[in-house]
Amino acid sequence: MNLLNVENLQVEIGRGPNSVKAVRGVSFSLAEGEFRALVGESGSGKSITGLSLLDLLPSKSVRRADRFQLENLALPNQHHGQWRKLRGNRLAMIFQNPMTALDPTQKVGWQIAEPLCIHRGLSRRQAWQRAIELMERLAITDAEKRAHRYPFEFSGGMLQRVMIAMAIACEPQILIADEPTTALDVGVQQEVLGLLNELRESRGTAILFITHDLGVVAKIADSVSVMYAGQVVEQGPVETFFTGSTTKELHPYSKALLAAVPDLSGGKPLQGIAGQPPDLRRPPSGCGFAARCSQRMEICDQAPELFHDANGDHRCWRWHEAFQTYLSQQGQVRGAQHD
Amino acid sequence: MWTFAFKRLLSGAVTIWFIATATFFAMHAVPGDPLTRDKAMSPAVRAQLEQRYGLDKPLVTQYRLFLGNMLKGDFGISFTQENRRVNDIIREHFPVSAMLGITALLIAFIGAVAAGSIAAQFRGQWPDRLLMMAVVAAISVPGFVIAAVAQLLIVQLNNRLGQPLIPVAGWGGFSHLWVPALVLGLGTMAYLSRLMRASMLEVTNSEYILAARAKGAYGWRLFWSHQLRNALLPVVTELGPAIAALTTGGFVVELIFAIPGLGRYFVQAVQQLDYTVIMGTTVFYGAFLVIMVVAVDIAYGLIDPRIRYSRGR
Repeated sequence: MNLLNVENLQVEIGRGPNSVKAVRGVSFSLAEGEFRALVGESGSGKSITGLSLLDLLPSKSVRRADRFQLENLALPNQHHGQWRKLRGNRLAMIFQNPMTALDPTQKVGWQIAEPLCIHRGLSRRQAWQRAIELMERLAITDAEKRAHRYPFEFSGGMLQRVMIAMAIACEPQILIADEPTTALDVGVQQEVLGLLNELRESRGTAILFITHDLGVVAKIADSVSVMYAGQVVEQGPVETFFTGSTTKELHPYSKALLAAVPDLSGGKPLQGIAGQPPDLRRPPSGCGFAARCSQRMEICDQAPELFHDANGDHRCWRWHEAFQTYLSQQGQVRGAQHD
Repeated sequence: MWTFAFKRLLSGAVTIWFIATATFFAMHAVPGDPLTRDKAMSPAVRAQLEQRYGLDKPLVTQYRLFLGNMLKGDFGISFTQENRRVNDIIREHFPVSAMLGITALLIAFIGAVAAGSIAAQFRGQWPDRLLMMAVVAAISVPGFVIAAVAQLLIVQLNNRLGQPLIPVAGWGGFSHLWVPALVLGLGTMAYLSRLMRASMLEVTNSEYILAARAKGAYGWRLFWSHQLRNALLPVVTELGPAIAALTTGGFVVELIFAIPGLGRYFVQAVQQLDYTVIMGTTVFYGAFLVIMVVAVDIAYGLIDPRIRYSRGR
């Protein structure tokens, strides 16, 4: 059974005609121990999706979902008191920049101990002990001494460990990691990824890993959801995206994303994606990617649904049955473009 | 930390010397002297008095004598209040001004932290608008108007009750203290409230508050352990100047409420060119402010570990 089920999640930030439709229909699930990558450009709604899982959306935003369920518990409406018991307890989050996400005036030890005081009812002393154990578990040497230090005395990598310790203090079932490696250098990135991987293997923690680093995705994710303009445009097992990307069909946006990864061997030139993502204050009525898509068709002015096939879900008319008919009717060879 | 405090005190001493010197020469540059009175004085009497007070000596010699006495902590005898030592005037009247100023500051600080926090919490809603309107009013209406209105209200209240509940003026216990202190502190409170509100909003929108909420912190816990301490930092830095404004700026309020504070003597001394009292009170105020600013700097270090550590090294 899935730990988390989200169906047709919608988030609107702000009110009135200029509100941003930041998330416009995101559905995914997380199984125990699953490592799901949520990929997309800046502004595609990844982080908002992550924050909405903890009910931490900015004020004046509205969240709707057809289904929003953690195991047997239907997640409550926005700003319901029940969220307080879930946040940091069953669901936890790691933030992008550990330098700014830790309270500068609080000792690191207390910051790790805090969720234990809140959710487990431990005394400050017990929680402090647990915090030191957690720091040791995350290979922070000299934990006893370092727990008394303040964030500004730590390096970025150390701080990210502190942040992970803080997030896993109450052994959450689901960990949302919002670009946790983006602000770190490469060596530290590897360590952090290793820690997260170990966490899901030893404890079965499900991880939603928000990133735009496809290299990381290829290395450790089980499944991938690609977001564009507030929608999941494609999702499926990670193999769909990498091992078989030359033979299997991919959404034009996923293909463009893969093509935009720099190839260090110097074999092929770097391909950017021309154009800008749509303004989500007035999202297009049709396919969100149509304006930048090289394989655009007339039908793309209408919004495509998610179509399912063996490789996963795809939000593109090319997966629609009618497309095959359309192709044969037109007798075009345009289909050859998308292999 | 202690080296830091020592360095600050040392530079403070230089500041005081500078204040003393500038005041000394500016004061002597003013036409007339303490012996200039309405009543005519025979040249013989005048010469005798000048000799007695050392006014016949060259200015530089007077300056040297003054500095020497200042280092001994002696500011001499008042010209206008016969046989009253300046040190005694300060000793008797400064505690009154200090009491008033510190009470005013406490009221202003606590009120500002509360008002700023509430306004930030309800940003854009009616409590915020109401408080910010009050802030603008408190900043724009001069202190003497507020003082007079406060007295009028007290009189009305006492009349209604038929017995004096709050004294209208004078000096005594706490009942005499709190109304003038509130009046004196109101402008500072308004100013600090705005600062607190802005700082609180910034902290509330910061990523570490989001992270703290992601841990499950909310309500008072979030406020006490994360928001308040960070939001206080910029407000605490303003406390030094605020202490300066309140302990030395109480002349008007002291006058209206008939409070025997040092401010009154300071103003009188300037009007009558009472050299020794001018010098004594000025140097004393200067020293007091320097010490307060250093004290605030140290307090700042206690709140913000980053400052504490960088000073330690």
